Amino acid sequence: MRVQLIGFGNIGQGLARVLLEKEKYLEKRHGLKLRVVSISDISGTVVDEEGVDLKRALEVVEREKKIIGYPGEEMSGLEAIKTVDAEVVIEVTPSNIKTGEPGLSHMLAAMKRGKHVVTSNKGPLALEFKKLKETAEKKGVAFRFEASVGGAMPLVNLATEMLSGDEIYAIEGILNGTTNYILSRMTKEESPLELVLREAQELGIAETDPSYDIDGVDTASKLVILANAIMGVDASYRDVKIQGIRKITPEAIKLAKEDGYVIKLVGEVKNSHLEVAPRLVPVNHPLNVDGVLNVALLRADIAGDITIVGKGAGARETNSAILSDVISIWKNGACL
Amino acid sequence: MKISLDVVLKDIPGQLVKALEPISSYGGNIISIVHLREEVTGGRVPVHVTFEVEPPRLEKILRELEDRDIWVSKVGEVRKKEKLKVLLIGHIVDTDARDTIDRINDIKGAMVADLALAMPHPEKESSARMDIEVSGDDVAEKVIERLEEIAREKNLIVIKSLSKNSSGI
Ligand SMILES: NC(=O)c1ccc[n+]([C@@H]2O[C@H](COP(=O)([O-])OP(=O)(O)OC[C@H]3O[C@@H](n4cnc5c(N)ncnc54)[C@H](OP(=O)(O)O)[C@@H]3O)[C@@H](O)[C@H]2O)c1
Repeated sequence: MRVQLIGFGNIGQGLARVLLEKEKYLEKRHGLKLRVVSISDISGTVVDEEGVDLKRALEVVEREKKIIGYPGEEMSGLEAIKTVDAEVVIEVTPSNIKTGEPGLSHMLAAMKRGKHVVTSNKGPLALEFKKLKETAEKKGVAFRFEASVGGAMPLVNLATEMLSGDEIYAIEGILNGTTNYILSRMTKEESPLELVLREAQELGIAETDPSYDIDGVDTASKLVILANAIMGVDASYRDVKIQGIRKITPEAIKLAKEDGYVIKLVGEVKNSHLEVAPRLVPVNHPLNVDGVLNVALLRADIAGDITIVGKGAGARETNSAILSDVISIWKNGACL
Repeated sequence: MKISLDVVLKDIPGQLVKALEPISSYGGNIISIVHLREEVTGGRVPVHVTFEVEPPRLEKILRELEDRDIWVSKVGEVRKKEKLKVLLIGHIVDTDARDTIDRINDIKGAMVADLALAMPHPEKESSARMDIEVSGDDVAEKVIERLEEIAREKNLIVIKSLSKNSSGI
């Protein structure tokens, strides 16, 4: 099966590594031989019908930070989608919550050309889920995005495939590892947010511009994807009521703690209402997970409550989800 | 919802089962049954039953009891006082904490029962934990709405508890 990789940063490179590691396993266990026929980043694209040498690609970006040194050509990712033959496009460019670009154009172009799409990119889904889903259906291609929410946690596929007889009537979750790390440290040490944030930035857990995480933008994007994909709610990012954690004080955390509670940034979908806000969570509640872990609680009408906990990010962990989406496309026999 | 039901049964065998069957067959969950034997009058025994049931099913249960000739002397919802817990962050005292409390107490069925305040420094934002007694989910919802309105006005932050029946424990 031929795949194209659009974006070759943390996740793209992580996928290349996992594919190298899992080459034999994929063939033996699933009869799947993957050929990466193109890799694009902002500098250009390398195309090889016989399969790009992933080891060399990794070495090149390690050295030169750009794939074009492979050597590749000055072809954009969009051009590559339009001109290179492949069955699957893996879209892993940066997430953009204002316009959804460049991911949105990439995904739509791929679908229009009859290519299946696998992605970890939240922006386009949080803004245009319905359009993407409908385009995929119209063109008869798969649209899979397990990696976009909760990293390695099998959340979307669990709910839509394993629990397909259940109606999920509410979802609550901690969907951002960075804020969970900050709040956990604040709880343990009773220190102010600025201090913990600065340390998290030094450790590479928080970005230099932390607003995406601590203002709840990331959690809200993921919540929108879950609401659409699992609960069939036609919502977009703009519909989410959002409050971040910037104003949480050590005193508030202490008052909560004295009473047997912790403060967590929780995303909740219930009765088509989407809300991200710091919430009081009882210490013995399943949502009380610490550090960078993520957790989601699915409330199903037959199965009851189901909770999953796992790593919500990471170049390697997230690729577990991307790989499983690719394998399921392969198994559905949609292509050779 | 939780229902309190008083029935008056004939003092002959099989009557209790006859009265309870409709409750369980409509998915009601019986919590307690109390025979008020000391109140037996004219060969009839008053029995007090409490059970949980989905609101739309109650009507059906009552109709079934009537069809079975069970005399229902009293029926009503049991409203239990519940505690709502919230945190507030901001200039809570400077923006008239008394007024905040009064405006919550103004809601029928709601009362601020406890307030714990932490003020790190007079100029800095303070934090408060508030326990509010409410007589049902509808009242709880009103309280949250009112709190959010006050928070907007006074530039405070409200941290709510998780949704009530969120997972077991
Ligand atoms: N990192 C995680 O743990 C994680 C977890 C879950 C989901 N995600 C999502 O996965 C996506 C990728 O994340 P990442 O951490 O790999 O980001 P990243 O390290 O910033 O990598 C993004 C890649 O996309 C390339 N790119 C940017 N614009 C492009 C364009 N127009 N055409 C082609 N390539 C373009 C970048 O090229 P240059 O380097 O040349 O600019 C880079 O190779 C994001 O949407 C992110 O939200 C990440």
